Amino acid sequence: MAAFIQLFVSGLATGAIYALVAVGFMLLWQTSQTINFAQGEFVMIPAFFVLWAIRFLGIDFWPAVGIGVIVSLIILGFLFKRMIVDPMIKHGVLPMVISTIALSIFLKEMVKDFYSSQAQPFPGLIPSSDLNFFGAVISTQNIFILIIASLTVVALNFLLNGTRLGRAMQATAQNPTVARILGIPVERMILYTFLINAALVALASFLISPIYLAKFTNGDVLGLAAFIAAIVGGFNQVRGAIVGGLVLGVTENLAAAYISAQYRGAIPLILLIVVILWRPHGLMGRAEERTV
Amino acid sequence: MMQPVLEVTDVSKRFGGVTAVDGVSFKVYEGEILGIIGPNGSGKSTLFNCVLGQLNPTQGSIKVDGHDVTGARPCDLNRLGVSRTFQLLQVFPELSVRDNLILAGQEHEGTMLDRLLGPRDAGLTASANQMIEFFRLSHVADEKAGGLSYGQQKLLDAAMAFMAGPRLVLLDEPAGGVNLTMLGHLRDRLKAINTEQNATFVVIEHNMEFVMALCNRIIVLAEGKIIAEGTPDEIRSNPEVIEAYLGH
Repeated sequence: MAAFIQLFVSGLATGAIYALVAVGFMLLWQTSQTINFAQGEFVMIPAFFVLWAIRFLGIDFWPAVGIGVIVSLIILGFLFKRMIVDPMIKHGVLPMVISTIALSIFLKEMVKDFYSSQAQPFPGLIPSSDLNFFGAVISTQNIFILIIASLTVVALNFLLNGTRLGRAMQATAQNPTVARILGIPVERMILYTFLINAALVALASFLISPIYLAKFTNGDVLGLAAFIAAIVGGFNQVRGAIVGGLVLGVTENLAAAYISAQYRGAIPLILLIVVILWRPHGLMGRAEERTV
Repeated sequence: MMQPVLEVTDVSKRFGGVTAVDGVSFKVYEGEILGIIGPNGSGKSTLFNCVLGQLNPTQGSIKVDGHDVTGARPCDLNRLGVSRTFQLLQVFPELSVRDNLILAGQEHEGTMLDRLLGPRDAGLTASANQMIEFFRLSHVADEKAGGLSYGQQKLLDAAMAFMAGPRLVLLDEPAGGVNLTMLGHLRDRLKAINTEQNATFVVIEHNMEFVMALCNRIIVLAEGKIIAEGTPDEIRSNPEVIEAYLGH
């Protein structure tokens, strides 16, 4: 039982990170039909912004985290929208998707060439220790991740549902034509979602890198996990992405321990296939009609 | 003579070699309900889109309350008090009926901070509730707009057009696809808002009965030109109109 609790909690913590990344992924899709296949690399790279700031600017960890957040907002939010999404989306979803795949390769190779191909240790945001909970040993890192992820989700939910800004963003996602006629600055609302996504991936990066180390290939697993979490949860629902992320994290962890560690990488894909066969619109999603 | 709310002067719209609207002029006065009818392809929708800023007319001018709005963007027109309903439904499907109305009634000016910290309903819950009551949507006020029946969504669309207290409302085929009971209800509500608030409408519609019962004055378009103008009775008995439209 103790082992199960341990695995369950660490699965939840990983799942919470997947959920943050999946929520960002889905917000981009909802407001601007951007499917970002570089989302995994977007999670990998903020940790390197921080490491870069520490190494080359010679500053301490926390100021470097601040720089990491700002650089992420500029590059992964603002410039990503302006330089890749805006020019490509006019040509349709497919050219857009291919551009993000190209971007993912570019980011990965850039980190490998200009920083290092070796996994880099990344300082934890809080000191690591273990708590004993009914015989189960739970790391404070995991608890911290769960708390921060929950607070982020609550804040995001408040922003989207409890403020005029959020409602204007929802209106933009649901019907940009009418939103524009009503005078909602649609372009600015879309930019805000890109900035929110950049903030979410930066947070996810700082939470996961102390556990898995910062490595240029981290995006492969994370991007796939976020994509699967969004689909498993239901592509049109923020809470779907959260549920999808948590289910994926826990399933992956339990299956690796109780079924086969070797097939750990296959678990998300199996989960995806099973869910799609059983509920094509995801666990929480609704069937969507689309005019073609 | 009082100033017209809407004044369209010699508006034409050409698409390549096709002249969709050809030198159309008309005025709409406060409190009036003007109907625009015409067979398919007569240029009604193009004219409408020119007035609403969705198309730029090739020539001519459009004035709202004396301000030249030729070529203005839809959101600028919205700010001047021109609102519209849509031929194909355009509501925010995932928001509740009340939230749809609140969004439609809002001034969307202001800084990001205003939007973040200001009241969520922008102080509009009471007027949204009034509108809900007026259009008899109380029983679905908290439902998601996407789950409403087609007729109810049409009512919501109309209600949204009135939320900001507009000077002029352009209704694009409000009766299209609405069943008879709901149609009577919609006509009744539009008439009521016209009488009670002296609201001014321009209506494009295919349903002759609906137009005849709703409008004070009707203009008939054929091949981009106005071929007749008058009261519903005059239009009914105009031989040219019967030839061009009613006869078919």
